[in-house]
Amino acid sequence: MTVPAPLIRIVDDDASFLKAIARMLRASGFLVKTFGSAAEFLECQEPDVPGCVLVDLQMPGLSGLDLQAALSKTGHALPVVFLSGHGDIRTTVKVMRGGAEDFLTKMAPKEEVLDAVNRALARDARERAERARQEALRAPFAALTPRESEVLQHVVQGKLNKQIAFDLGIHERTVKLHRTAITTKLGVQSTAELTRLWIAVAEQES
Amino acid sequence: MSWITIIWSMEAAVCLTLAGIHFTVWLKARRVWGHLFFTFSAVTSAMVAAGELVLMRTESVERFGMVMWLTHIPIWVLVVSVVWFTRFHLRAGWPWLGWAATATRTLAMIVNFFSTPNINYKRITSLNHLSFLGESISIPEGVFSSWSYIGKASSLLLLLFLVTATVEVWKRRGQRLHLFLCGSMVFFITAAALHTALVEKGIVQSPYVISVAFLGVVLTMAYGSSADVLRASQLVAELRESEERMTMAAEAANLGFWVFDRAKQEIWATHKWRAMFGFSDSERIDLNGILQRLHPEDRDVVQQALKRVLEEGGSYETEYRLLQPEGTTRWIVSRGRVEFNASGKPALLRGVSVDVTQRHISETEAQQHRVELAHFSRITMLGELSGSLAHELNQPLSAILRNTEAAELFLQEPSPDLDELRAILSDIRKDDQRAGAVIGRMRSMMKRRDVEHGMIDINHLAGEVISIVRPDADLRKVRLIIEPASSIPPVFGDRIQLQQVLLNLLLNAMDAVSDCEPDCRRVTVRVEHVDSHIEVSVNDTGAGIPKEKLARLFEPFFTTKQNGMGLGLPISRTIMESHGGSIRAENHPEGGATFRFMLPVANGGAAS
Repeated sequence: MTVPAPLIRIVDDDASFLKAIARMLRASGFLVKTFGSAAEFLECQEPDVPGCVLVDLQMPGLSGLDLQAALSKTGHALPVVFLSGHGDIRTTVKVMRGGAEDFLTKMAPKEEVLDAVNRALARDARERAERARQEALRAPFAALTPRESEVLQHVVQGKLNKQIAFDLGIHERTVKLHRTAITTKLGVQSTAELTRLWIAVAEQES
Repeated sequence: MSWITIIWSMEAAVCLTLAGIHFTVWLKARRVWGHLFFTFSAVTSAMVAAGELVLMRTESVERFGMVMWLTHIPIWVLVVSVVWFTRFHLRAGWPWLGWAATATRTLAMIVNFFSTPNINYKRITSLNHLSFLGESISIPEGVFSSWSYIGKASSLLLLLFLVTATVEVWKRRGQRLHLFLCGSMVFFITAAALHTALVEKGIVQSPYVISVAFLGVVLTMAYGSSADVLRASQLVAELRESEERMTMAAEAANLGFWVFDRAKQEIWATHKWRAMFGFSDSERIDLNGILQRLHPEDRDVVQQALKRVLEEGGSYETEYRLLQPEGTTRWIVSRGRVEFNASGKPALLRGVSVDVTQRHISETEAQQHRVELAHFSRITMLGELSGSLAHELNQPLSAILRNTEAAELFLQEPSPDLDELRAILSDIRKDDQRAGAVIGRMRSMMKRRDVEHGMIDINHLAGEVISIVRPDADLRKVRLIIEPASSIPPVFGDRIQLQQVLLNLLLNAMDAVSDCEPDCRRVTVRVEHVDSHIEVSVNDTGAGIPKEKLARLFEPFFTTKQNGMGLGLPISRTIMESHGGSIRAENHPEGGATFRFMLPVANGGAAS
């Protein structure tokens, strides 16, 4: 599976600035897509395409903060770098608490902008890799039947087959068959290994 | 020593002297007819006296009749003169009685002309002798003519006329001298008539002494007239006193009086005026001399005003600067009025000038303060806009920065894309101009400046102000709606000051809606042409103005805002008033407040 190149989304109501910063980032070797408003951006998201969002804090209609809030609801948020005409402490604190990657003034030197973009892209890559790893861990569990999942819950609690059979009201031999299916599906050799894997996934989910 | 000669001669002499004096007075003041009639009365009294004297010494019957006949001429003049002296000098007596007395006396004289020996006697039979004042004098004896009743009727009418005059004067009150005069004339003439009657009836043995009675009349008349002379000298003193007071008042008020004689082209002026204009007391003043002393810019205006008023009449008022020898100027206001000569042509221009320099200085200072205050208030308002202003400036500047950086990156490539570079440069120029426009807009409002009036299209002006506040409105999520008038005539005013008023109202309106939900934050600017006014209203969707505060909104230092200074609206009102307009505030029935200001259309013309 080929991963698409990272795409930098820029959202600003000022067409002139939008054009200029896109130009600069393209010249620096990035793939760039521009949006005239937060609404326009939210309409056509491409969550599978990695990258980050550069957004103007002060915009008529939906502001940069609104965009950040909307983005974080979707679950697979792109890192957000805020741009502002001028920075004040209150707004900075607010956006950073909201999980912003960075907060830059529009007049910040190119190096700072590129650093911020690179950091955001790295974070996105990191988060995507993490999400992929978790996905890989979780994927085998999805193959279990409901009854197998039920049996698994009991197994990881260290219950004996007899206890499980009694609790679920099924034959002890059936429990054994389910355990075999579980170990086969998850690709583990021992009950200890199965428990470790289960804990790892449970931790991710919490 | 003859007492008769002495008394009667002196009588005549006194009368003639008085006649001489009053005649001279009449020559100087021809309109005062009283003096002329007095002169006639006095001269004829003297003549009657002479007649009487001759009669007393006459020994021949014919001669006696002849002299008596002649005496009727002065008597006629005397009666007529007394009547018309009373009419002219005292302005009293029933006129028709006066005319009747005159007419009957004239009739008596005419009858006398055709009578022999005279109107009194059919014939004089003899002369008797009588001892009078130690001398033997002649008195006639003969047959009385019935025509003589005409003369008596005339005397009665004269008496009645004088009685009506006395009553009239008495009714006027406060004219004691005139009352005395009338009363005395009634008394003397009654006495003369009574005496004559008694003599003619033979009850009293006496010569005719009419002249003595008339001497009394003449003396009272003289006393009355001389009282007028006395009164005149009193008036002179009073006049001088009043002039003194006037001068003092004029000096205290810095007033200088002047009179321009059109024929002589010369100006008479008070000492104060001369001092004001730098003329010595003896120097001749003409128009050119004055114009030379005026500020060159004001000469034309003054000359035009003078020319107009001298041609068309009426009054004029000009304000001009006077050059001082030390190089400074003083402000003078002159008011004048034309006076016409007998033929209705403007002859004189009478006026007053006052130095108003101090008032001018205060006015200029007050104006300066208003300008400074307005400027200060503008700066404060722009301060409120500084956030959005920074944003507005930052956009083009940041774009320029990014474009420059992009261009540098392109140039590092082995074969730079020149088209792209050209596009970048073009964008940089556009952004630079955009930033310049923002600065220019602000600078015109920041600048400290004097008032400059011109023709202003309010639609355009509203657009300019909207573009100043638009970025701020965007930041504050306020919807700004402008509803321009379709086509409106211009107003005459100061662009920056009018912008300031609208800016102030817009900022207030945006503050008013800041507590509303973002969807409801709406400010509407409407420009309308109402009759001869342009009306601009700013309507917001805020909470409105509490009733108790509505009346005080335009008071200085009254504010409803936490950080407000309470200057915006009072300054706006001052600006409106100086433009001949008005401004008011009201609450909208559907909520929110509406501020509206009205400006008169330039040239006072209302289209359609």
